This record gives sequence, structure tokens and C-alpha cells, in this order.
Amino acid sequence: MTTGISLIRENAESMQPPRSLWVPFPLGRPLGKPNDKAFQHRVIAAALALLERTTGPVLEDYPEDAPTVSIEESSACPVSFGNTQAKATTWAARLISELTQMQPWYDFGKRRRNGRSLVGVTGEPMQTMLKKLGELLDSDTLPTAELKWFKLAIEDAKVFYIEALTAQPGEYSAQAIEQILWHETHLGAGLRIFYERFTATPKLAIMARMVASREAIGGFTGEEIEINDITKKEK
Amino acid sequence: MVRLTDLPEYERDHLLEKNMPPLGPMPWSNNAKPLSAKRIALITTAGLHFRGDNAFDFADPTFRPISIDDDANDLIMSHSSANFDRSGFVEDVNLVFPIKRFKELLADKTIDSLADVHYSFMGAGLMPKVYEKSAIQVAGLLKQDLVDAVFLTPV
Repeated sequence: MTTGISLIRENAESMQPPRSLWVPFPLGRPLGKPNDKAFQHRVIAAALALLERTTGPVLEDYPEDAPTVSIEESSACPVSFGNTQAKATTWAARLISELTQMQPWYDFGKRRRNGRSLVGVTGEPMQTMLKKLGELLDSDTLPTAELKWFKLAIEDAKVFYIEALTAQPGEYSAQAIEQILWHETHLGAGLRIFYERFTATPKLAIMARMVASREAIGGFTGEEIEINDITKKEK
Repeated sequence: MVRLTDLPEYERDHLLEKNMPPLGPMPWSNNAKPLSAKRIALITTAGLHFRGDNAFDFADPTFRPISIDDDANDLIMSHSSANFDRSGFVEDVNLVFPIKRFKELLADKTIDSLADVHYSFMGAGLMPKVYEKSAIQVAGLLKQDLVDAVFLTPV
């Protein structure tokens, strides 16, 4: 038997899993609030209570909102963008310059989190990845022969930036971090260019949706796909 | 919060497109054991795995095991969706994969035991039917592990 969290009530309503607790939390936060043991236990208890139900499907609404931080209340980002690196004439140079600004804060954040970091899906140094992404932008090309590497490299790069931007202790607005990442950094600007290039390349258009978020683009980024589509496109 | 009325129209429309009919007859089951006698497993669709594991591909219906003896703080994420917050998970693995919370429930005897192995899928880009083979495989593994109930978390 199963019980679980649903983040989109309408989806659970349509698919009717046997036992589901809808929570009014942001996507990516099924337990509501990081580092709040009591809050997380209340959510878990509500979901586990559904195991006692003897008829279903059960879709219960969790009554408590997760405490959120508004953009205005968000802790300050430690990095100031758009200064020295703006003078660099190539994407590779701009990204490497930005990395120089970010690295101390990434290291600081990692120490604050007791060594925990999500960076490392590629196993490559951040400098190597950013340089390569910059060179692709400079040469106006897409990594058609290395799509798997590209997916992991942008995941690593984005999470490196998020960890640096939230390095200091404090309460952060996820929306504020997204806005800085996508609209104030060279990485965000470069990824939006990759998004446009993928979108404009029919054989690779389905990859665009993983490059940039709907919030970054301000609209729809692509359909769900069947498993065979992607392998066909990669050939 | 994710109330559709609070979201921009493009986001609302996209999420509503994910509404689908039930996959088949509802797999309903009852288990007369009280929670304090149940063995629980966690399954997430957050695309979690350890650094040494194969990362999830762009569209990938496979799964990764997470042993109860592994340190969950070493979990990383290779999810293909760019459309959910990662900053919370950066701060606390339990926000997405609440294994520490369940170990606390075990310590205070709210539950009987935790599975030896828990599982991570990557829930993006694919239609639900594509996951059938993996889901059947995991169901068999959970049965073998004598699991009574599974706690599911999306992102």
C-alpha cells in the first residue's frame, strides 16, 4: 500500500492514486520547509494517517501553509554582478570571471552546510565546464554530440550558483534566487541563449525545456515526450 | 505555494495538461497492521542518487537504490526539469527525502521498521506508462524486503 504527497491537487484528482495528501507547498518542497523538523513531522503524520483509511481513493488537503519568504524579505545575495566581468569580450571569459566571484561564496556555503553540496554530477571541475559552455556560446554552436554531458553540466552549474547565492545563513526567497540566477548572472543569460538555440533547432527542440525554466522564459517550454523520442533525436 | 490560482496562466495551463485519467483499476489494498507494526519504504521522484551512480538521463524511467545505511547527505540530484525549486533541497535533504524524519519515527516506535533499501526515480518528461517496467521491478523488491507501506514524495 502507498501514501504520498501531491503538489498539484488537480493532477492527483485526475489520476486518483489510492492515498494522497495534497500540500500547498512550492514545487521542489514536498515536506514544506527545510530544516524544520516539527513542520516536516506534521506533514508526514498527516500522510501516514491515510494508511488507516479502508476505502478510497483518498485525496486529503493539508491545512497548513509552509512559511515562505517574500522577495523583499529575502536575505541579501552576497555577490554583486555586472561589474568587472561585463568588460570581458567573450562568453568564456565572462563565465570564468563570474566563477571567480562565485567560488569563495560557494566554498563558504559548503562549509556552512557541513561539507554538503549537490555539485558533482559530472565529476568535472566547475572551471572546465563553464569554459566549455562559454566556448559553445562564443562559437554559436550546440553540443549535439555531447547532450548527456550538457544536461549534467548545466545542472551542476545551476546548483553551484544556487549554493553560492545562498551561502550565508538566512531565509531566502526561492523566487528571488531564481530571478538573480536567470536575470542577473552571465550563466542565466547564456542558458537563455542555449534555450533559444535548442528551440530553433527542430531535431533538438525537445531539449530546450531542461535548459531554462518556464519562469525564466516567461512561458511554455515544451511538451512531455515518449521514451523513444529522445533516443531518435540523439541519433 | 502551489495553488493554481496563484500561478501565471502559462504555468497553470502547463500543470493542468498533466491531468490524466487513472492508469487502470485502482490498486487499492488494506493492511490491518497498525502503523507501529508497519515496515516503511520511501520512494521519491526527485532524481536523487549518489555521486558514483549513473546520473539520470534527459528522459529516464530507471531507478536508483538508496540503502538505509547510506548517508543521505551525500545524495545529489540529476533531475531534468528546470521548473522546481532546488534551494530548499540544497539546505536539507529531508525536505525531499525525509529519511532522517523516518529514522526518528523508528526511534520513538511510531513505525516498526524501515526498508533496507529505498528508491529514487526521476519524474520528468515522460508519460506515466513508460515507468511500468521499473515500477513492477521495484514492487517486487519491496515485497522481498517485506515492506508494508510506501511513502511517496514528488518534487
